[in-house]
Amino acid sequence: MLVDFELIKRAQKGDSASFNEIVLAYRKRILGTIARLIARPEDVEDVAQEVFLRLYFSLDQLRTAEVFEPWLHRLTVNAAYDYLRKQRRRQEFRMSDLSEQQVMLADAAAGGKVEHEEQHRKKIRESVQSLLGAVSEADRILLMLKEVEGLSLKELEKIYKVNENALKVRLFRARQRVLKAYGAAEEKEGTGLSR
Amino acid sequence: MNSMRGNVDERLDALLQAYRDACPAPEPSANFMPNLWQRIESRQSFTFSFQRMANAFVTAAVALSIVLGVYMSIPRSNPSSYTQSYLEALADANTLDTPDYVAPVRLELSDPGR
Repeated sequence: MLVDFELIKRAQKGDSASFNEIVLAYRKRILGTIARLIARPEDVEDVAQEVFLRLYFSLDQLRTAEVFEPWLHRLTVNAAYDYLRKQRRRQEFRMSDLSEQQVMLADAAAGGKVEHEEQHRKKIRESVQSLLGAVSEADRILLMLKEVEGLSLKELEKIYKVNENALKVRLFRARQRVLKAYGAAEEKEGTGLSR
Repeated sequence: MNSMRGNVDERLDALLQAYRDACPAPEPSANFMPNLWQRIESRQSFTFSFQRMANAFVTAAVALSIVLGVYMSIPRSNPSSYTQSYLEALADANTLDTPDYVAPVRLELSDPGR
């Protein structure tokens, strides 16, 4: 845990400085997780603020120190899930649609190597986002938390409040769908994805 | 990318790991904290005004209930309706000079024996 429970208790009593300290301690981690979950750099900060906003208004419900991090993860997952659902509703989530930051990065990358690296990263991001389109938003987040964020099943159990076996089944099915999509993409593009 | 040459499972794992590296945590902007507090305050003010509105509504509903309760509990002080007997009231309602009940007078002159 990045902060001690005393700090959380002070924040629960309405101490703004303590809440600021909590945000500063977890901000980077939350931004990273959200960046990988939603894959739209220009909206990452907005979603992260929503997470901390929800944290602020629900902090008084926290009773023990050990549930703080799983709880913060749950808030992150919920905020990312809400964002992805809205995105799908707006039908803005298109692979051809470059985010503002990606465009800026592409413009800024004048040097050949930088440009090449950014192109490579962009291709990976697009490939993964395309594959994750094969599963629901909820499964996509679950899969990302396990496979990309590297959370253990025990940690996921605490976040989702679902038993380990149910999580395993869900993860297995989600992974199978993504694998199927991956195989199909490979067939379609030859070895395009592995290059 | 060499590891991607294995089976599909391994290649997918490698792709997901590459994705992690391709999506680094962005640096928070200088406005992160001010914007966050702005959002907190605007949510608080919304909640506060909603609570105030809800309180005002509840107070008005309670006051109206009390007024209606008092109004209903007060006996009607209309003396005429209570002092009249039923028959008197009936007679008042069916007086002979009420135009609806006054039929035109007909004289039957043709057969006086009847």
